[in-house]
Amino acid sequence: MLIQALKKLGQTLVVLMIVSIATFGLLKLAPGDPVQIMLGAEYSQETYESMTRELGLDQPFLVQYADWAMNFVQGDWGTSYIARTDIFTYGFKEALPVTLTLAFFSLSFAILIGVPLGVLSAVKKDTIFDAGSAVFALTGTAFPSFLLGILLIWFFGVKLQLFPVMGYVSPWEDLRLGIYHMILPGLTLSTYFIAMITRLTRATLIEVMDEPYIAAARARGEPGWRVIWVHGVRNIAMPLVTILGLQLGTLIQGTVLTETVFNLPGIGQMLTSAVLGREYQVVQAGVMMTAFLFIGVNLLVDLSYPILDPRLRDRK
Amino acid sequence: MTEIDHKKILTERISARLGRRAVLKGMGAGIVAATAAGGFPAIARAQQSGHLKIASIKVIDTLDPHFTGFLSSIQVINNIHNGLLKIVYDGENLTFEPDLAETWDLEDDKTHVFKLRDGVKFHDGTTCDAEAVKFSLLRVKEGEPTSPHAWKLALLDEIEIVDPLTVKLHFSQPYAFLPVALNGSTGRAGTIVSPAAVEKYGTDYGRNPVGTGPFKFVSWRENDAIELEANTEYFEPDMPKLERVTFLLMNEASTAIAALFSGQIDGMNDCPMQLVNQVDANPNTTLYGEIEGNYTFLGMNCKKGPFTDINLRRAVAWAIDRETMVKQAYFGRAQQAYTPISPPMTDFFDPDIATSGRGQWFDLDKAREFRALAENQDEIEVTYMMAERGPVGTRTAQTIAPMLAQIGIKVNLELVEPATWLKRRNEGDFDLYDFEWVADLDPDEAIYPEFKSDGAWNFCGWVNTEFDDLCAQAQVILDPAERRKLYYQAEDLLMDEAPIGVMAHMPIYKVFSNKVEGFQYIPADLMNLHTVSKV
Repeated sequence: MLIQALKKLGQTLVVLMIVSIATFGLLKLAPGDPVQIMLGAEYSQETYESMTRELGLDQPFLVQYADWAMNFVQGDWGTSYIARTDIFTYGFKEALPVTLTLAFFSLSFAILIGVPLGVLSAVKKDTIFDAGSAVFALTGTAFPSFLLGILLIWFFGVKLQLFPVMGYVSPWEDLRLGIYHMILPGLTLSTYFIAMITRLTRATLIEVMDEPYIAAARARGEPGWRVIWVHGVRNIAMPLVTILGLQLGTLIQGTVLTETVFNLPGIGQMLTSAVLGREYQVVQAGVMMTAFLFIGVNLLVDLSYPILDPRLRDRK
Repeated sequence: MTEIDHKKILTERISARLGRRAVLKGMGAGIVAATAAGGFPAIARAQQSGHLKIASIKVIDTLDPHFTGFLSSIQVINNIHNGLLKIVYDGENLTFEPDLAETWDLEDDKTHVFKLRDGVKFHDGTTCDAEAVKFSLLRVKEGEPTSPHAWKLALLDEIEIVDPLTVKLHFSQPYAFLPVALNGSTGRAGTIVSPAAVEKYGTDYGRNPVGTGPFKFVSWRENDAIELEANTEYFEPDMPKLERVTFLLMNEASTAIAALFSGQIDGMNDCPMQLVNQVDANPNTTLYGEIEGNYTFLGMNCKKGPFTDINLRRAVAWAIDRETMVKQAYFGRAQQAYTPISPPMTDFFDPDIATSGRGQWFDLDKAREFRALAENQDEIEVTYMMAERGPVGTRTAQTIAPMLAQIGIKVNLELVEPATWLKRRNEGDFDLYDFEWVADLDPDEAIYPEFKSDGAWNFCGWVNTEFDDLCAQAQVILDPAERRKLYYQAEDLLMDEAPIGVMAHMPIYKVFSNKVEGFQYIPADLMNLHTVSKV
């Protein structure tokens, strides 16, 4: 077990290093010059050179990368050229919680809506309800989230004036307002996942319902809801959790657009503005945080298997 | 003799253009200031109330007035700081009036004397006096790191402190551009910052600005919001009226509009042209906007590629149908441009420019004549570098391409992301590109740095020493009529040799909810909230 854990940790470190070198290199390869962007239209050659020196951009690529990596490991994430703030504060303390809140709400919506809908479709297989949910799922997967976001804003925000159309309020500071601000963005981001989970739940549950233990449960005379929710749904938990873990990347990718449309100051917005401004260190910090998140969640998924499936537990 | 001339010019520059109102207003301001200077604490202080939320659509880089080149930054900076002079607009004319200065005089044509208001304090409690003014001007002129606006004070020889409230600026030559240099929207060389705060924060001043303005800086949350609160000690009577102001930093204009319509915010600092009709149709909002000091143009690379051929450039300049451009690309909101000098430059703009015979306009026959003179008579293929600048940018390029096809130029549109675009433009790696120079208040900043041979912004690489000489001469003359003559000659050269095809003068829009009152619009893309209140 310990060896396995160490192996996993080693793998994680290698992955993080590859990710960080790749982003650093790609950004450097992309044309564009942070100093030019920062200085705008009016500047002299001397200003340009002194700024380049100040930011350490006159150093060779490898030196810049090594500098960054050494500092990053020690917890010094650098200072944003443009924001002039500590990137750790900006990225980890300010932007990350916003994205995590958004991701949490989207996943909650996805599970709370997707699973019951999928179960209903499976139970009412080949009825009009099942067909309806299939159409919904297909539309949900195909619909671009930014367009959906704007439509939700106009209908629920402007026409009905039910929800705020933008901004972030921390649920830790004001729970009611925090939730209130997360409903539209959460729905926007989760549509794709609701659709996906609905289809997945339906398909796996239909398979599970043909298993002998379901027939056995029925033969024992257990009530219908118990057969479905206890014997059925419990057995689809594993594929569901696996897929959700793997799809986390898609979710994080989705936060970029959702955060822009709803003006949430999260990692997505941070990354977008940093890429446009060629803020190498901010991009690095953003990418590292998402990579950590992705690896961390998948680690949790691995760890959850024994809980979800007693057969995988260590019995020694 | 000389003295009379200066007085005349000074009167012209400060007040004559305001007409009869100016005298009253000038005197009134003097009296108010004198009372304040006398130290009567009985001056009417405003009762502040209300929290104004404004969406700021464009990037804000820093709140340090001496280091920004962004108008969206200036919009916030202007509410925190004051300058020696300020820009005033009466609905017809733009003028420069003393701001932190009580009076502004010309001792001779090279010496400007500013008498400061007494008792003005920075938000950190320190006094704004002649030393602070000298500190700020020197910070721009020769500070380290170098301010991008240092060139604006290059002619400033000496800053003399006569007494704690009097500063004398000695210039090496007469400098007609001074008021604009001090106030020019794309950088505030004449904005006064707290020396104590600069000392304290160093290069982080831009995140902790301390000025004398009607609002104090509170906080700046990245990608989220900038918060300001009322400066209850502000020196102008009855200002500010608001208690708090929030600039919400937003990327998506359509979300801002939705937030405005649903009452979540109170205004927008910039309403893109494609959304203007929607705002116009909404009964609960008010649109502010006029043609501002700007021009858009199609730039041609004079250094390499097909457009080194002057006749091909001329053909392009005459082949652009500006009327169609205004309709298609600018949603019918802009005004056709004949030359770069734009309507708000009242001393220089010719209201009858359309019939004057000066400049460039659409004439396909003339374009074909020039095309026939071009060296290469085969179809010419060129690359048009487009930036991602919203519908206006996309439509501009898409409208121009077929126009050039008519004169045998095949345009390949190439859309590149902003950082790449900037790099390629600055390095002259394009055949065609379009751009706009905005918020210009004087021809000197509208054409000189942009087209001076080897000028920093002369990305087309056009070289004409006669043009350089004319602009340099105009720079050191104070009389507007004489300057105008020189700038017209310079413009005529520019338009004839056509490194650019000039396209349009654009309106810049701001929107407020009807709950917001007292906004004074200034056609220099400003968002001064001094007099604004919220019901």
